[in-house]
Amino acid sequence: MAFQSKQSMTESRDRTDPAQGIEGVLLANRDRIVRFLEMRGAGDGAEDLFQDLWMRLTDRTSGPIADPLPYIMRAANNLMLDRYRSARQSDLRDKAWGEAAAIQSPSAETSLISREQLALVETAITATGERPARIFRRFRVDGQNQRDIASEMGVSLSTVEADLRKVYAALAVIRRQFDAS
Amino acid sequence: MQADMANAEARAIDWLIRQRNPDFDDWSGFADWLAEAPEHNAIYDAVASLDRDLDALAAAPKSKPSVVIIPDAPRRPSRRAWFGGAMAAALVGAISLSSLGLFGNDDRIETLAGEHRTIALADGSKIEVNGASVIEIDKDRPRFARLESGEAMFHVVHRDDDPFIVETGDAKIVDLGTAFNVVRRDRQTSVAVSEGIVLYNPDRDKVRLVAGKAIEARDGDRQPPVVQDVDVASIGGWRSGLLVYNGTPLAVVAEDLRRTAGMQVRIAPEASDLFFRGALIIDKNRNRTIADLAALSGTKAQRQGDGWILTR
Repeated sequence: MAFQSKQSMTESRDRTDPAQGIEGVLLANRDRIVRFLEMRGAGDGAEDLFQDLWMRLTDRTSGPIADPLPYIMRAANNLMLDRYRSARQSDLRDKAWGEAAAIQSPSAETSLISREQLALVETAITATGERPARIFRRFRVDGQNQRDIASEMGVSLSTVEADLRKVYAALAVIRRQFDAS
Repeated sequence: MQADMANAEARAIDWLIRQRNPDFDDWSGFADWLAEAPEHNAIYDAVASLDRDLDALAAAPKSKPSVVIIPDAPRRPSRRAWFGGAMAAALVGAISLSSLGLFGNDDRIETLAGEHRTIALADGSKIEVNGASVIEIDKDRPRFARLESGEAMFHVVHRDDDPFIVETGDAKIVDLGTAFNVVRRDRQTSVAVSEGIVLYNPDRDKVRLVAGKAIEARDGDRQPPVVQDVDVASIGGWRSGLLVYNGTPLAVVAEDLRRTAGMQVRIAPEASDLFFRGALIIDKNRNRTIADLAALSGTKAQRQGDGWILTR
């Protein structure tokens, strides 16, 4: 009895205490994670995907994670993106080659755009202007954070944000053209 | 409605940009946004998926030449390695090389009889072109080549979303991860696969060829070509000066010798219905190649002009 009450006290105080371990955080936030998976397109499969996520996260031998819940949510988000990409890849292939192509299994790592399309993306980035293109490259290719880019370029943080939005919006337009062609 | 979509996309982009920050933790805010409208998730997926593809930007080198053409160094096969001398096959000469100013047009590669050339494509794919062949590539279509005539061995770096297509005659050959040899002779196409899988005319014949399989198709055939077995080791043998035949008309062998080694071999009319079975090695002494071809096919060889004639 004493032990049980102590445990529930811990839980109520902090639901994402790193000491709980990733399993503990997964369990404590089960409903929330399942709901997120539903919102991210899992629909009725959300419970099953929660199990997939559990396997993904508890399999790995990495050390304790400082802030487990955001980490889990990011993993859940990536899981759904991987699924989207795999499905899309199968679609693209089915469209292109019918039955004969269902040989290689789709993989989330494979790029979905071709070399030509990537060249078009590069051109579109350049076309947004010198500063936005440079900011975008620092952000997306070099992985620099926005604050550092702002000080490096001598512009405000909101300028960096605006430029990034501008480039991504241009790329979204390009993407729709890829889909249409 | 259109404005709503554009607005939703802008919001999706905002989320994406914020989420790229490793410290992002507003996942419940993001979930709320997804819950606002059923289409938000699809809009986000589309944008996030494109963003994932941008990983390739980092890897993409700047202004790489689309095509590099390397003349092949002559390769001489070891006679012993192949046959231990048992099968009488001739050794024929180092393959002649030329660089006769054919580099003027990058997109059309024409080789002289006996001249071999390798084309390295920007994506890492490689085309080895036999002599007396014409191949066209297109800077704007890096995953495409057209074999106008002659013979080439294709080593294709496979991309699921962007298959490599070889056109020849009115046929289309589509790789599914592959090395394969294509011969285009008068109104006839031969394809032999040494690795991976190839689709022959995916929108017409739909013939699927795996490694060790080959077809011979004539222009205007009504039926899809019949798939035959071939020895994988002999596919593209011309590259190392090894030609293997299993009941092939002498005229075809003569054509191969011309292309591969620049040898002029004529077949007398009375010998034109003979078939050749066996292997020929191409090396220095071309007289021996001819002597062996004659012996193995039951013909007689005589010098004639710059070349030879085979009579019965």
